[in-house]
Amino acid sequence: MISDVTSPGADTAPGVAAPSGNRFGYLGVALLLVGLLLGVAAGLVIPRLGNPGDDSVEAGFLRDMSTHHAQAVEMAMIAHAGSDTPQIVTLSADIATTQQAQIGYMQAWLRDWDLGPTGSSEPMAWMPGSDGSIVDGLMPGMATSDQMAALRKATGKQLDVQFLTLMRAHHLGGVHMAQEAVELSDDENVDWIAQSMVTAQQGEIQLIDSLLKQVQQG
Amino acid sequence: MSTPGPERVPSTVKVGKTTGQGKPPAGKSGGNRPGGNRPAGKGGKGRKPVTPVKVAGGRNWGPIMVAGVVVLIAVGIIGYGVFASVQGSRPWEEQVADVKGVVNYRAQKNAQIDDRTHKEGAQTYVTNPPVGGAHSQTWQNCMGDIYSEPIANEYAVHSLEHGAVWVTYKQGLAADQVAALQKKVEGQDFMLMSPIANLDKNVSVQAWGYQLKVDDANDERIDAFIKATRVKASMEPGAACSSGNTTTGPLPAAPAGGATQ
Repeated sequence: MISDVTSPGADTAPGVAAPSGNRFGYLGVALLLVGLLLGVAAGLVIPRLGNPGDDSVEAGFLRDMSTHHAQAVEMAMIAHAGSDTPQIVTLSADIATTQQAQIGYMQAWLRDWDLGPTGSSEPMAWMPGSDGSIVDGLMPGMATSDQMAALRKATGKQLDVQFLTLMRAHHLGGVHMAQEAVELSDDENVDWIAQSMVTAQQGEIQLIDSLLKQVQQG
Repeated sequence: MSTPGPERVPSTVKVGKTTGQGKPPAGKSGGNRPGGNRPAGKGGKGRKPVTPVKVAGGRNWGPIMVAGVVVLIAVGIIGYGVFASVQGSRPWEEQVADVKGVVNYRAQKNAQIDDRTHKEGAQTYVTNPPVGGAHSQTWQNCMGDIYSEPIANEYAVHSLEHGAVWVTYKQGLAADQVAALQKKVEGQDFMLMSPIANLDKNVSVQAWGYQLKVDDANDERIDAFIKATRVKASMEPGAACSSGNTTTGPLPAAPAGGATQ
């Protein structure tokens, strides 16, 4: 546009139009610079606007689910080391490796968004209607310190039954949180990982139920 | 941002329009440049009235004002962007530095505190409680664990290395004070809590290389310290707090054989 406009002016009356052409030249340069600045500014701001904030559902879910997952890893590692039942050794390895890797995903997204790996708000604050769901700082489905101590001491069939029972409750709590995140979040990554948790853990609950039957009969 | 565009266009378009008026049928289909330049007679008609008008108008303040406003808006947006990015990514080291009374041992470059090797047996530490140094290959479980008896420094230091915040209190501290501390720890991974003998203050909170000592368990600086350092102070990003030692008491005596590795 600008070059189109200035060049005919310069062509027709070189002597008179020169200042006008210059002025348009300056304005053109100024406009380009402003455009550049705006582009840079938009580049800085727009990706940031799309990122979930510090008190968003997404940040709350990723932080809380990281803590929730960490206890599942802890229980699974105990069962993996202590169980004599091959299916439980395999299931616990699956849970421990999968959930530890998912913690990595969740922490990396928080880091990408320039958010801390931990928050200062209460656990589950991102989830509406969650008042009272925290008992002794524990999110839904999480085992108490007494239950964890008992699991560490247990052996044989006791260990299998306690692990399966605790993990079943843990998965139920986790599935509930993940379903809420799918419902409330519109972040692609969060929806993706939360939905995968719902599907995988619901499947594992069925496996746990059948293993519980086997273990209790055996 | 979009307003300056349309506003600027009319003032420049005047020129374009007049040149365009001269070649309505041919110019549009054939593109502006060749069409506008070739029919000299028609183009001349359009140009004559326009260029003098521009010159006679002197300084054209309209576009300058618009450009000025645009620049101001642009500067504002850039400023906001920079502010937001600086604010959002403010390093945790600065956040913990804002907590009054925190001692930054990382800054002291003390080789004994910075030592991250795994060693067997009891270790001597520069500070009480320790904030870093050689430690056991075993770490103390730090999944929000509440230990009611003192634990081995050699294990706890390894937990600090994994990113845990270790809340310690003077053994025998009033029950309500202990309960206040416990509320900050239980259910939180990368947290552990235990009493310590011979503590010079009622409460000492530490991450790897950082320590805050206060006399009141309800001191808000404890929460600020935890928020700034928990997980973030990890020397091994991704290292876990589970699968650690869960017993209390000092390091078990080395086996009689005396492994010296």
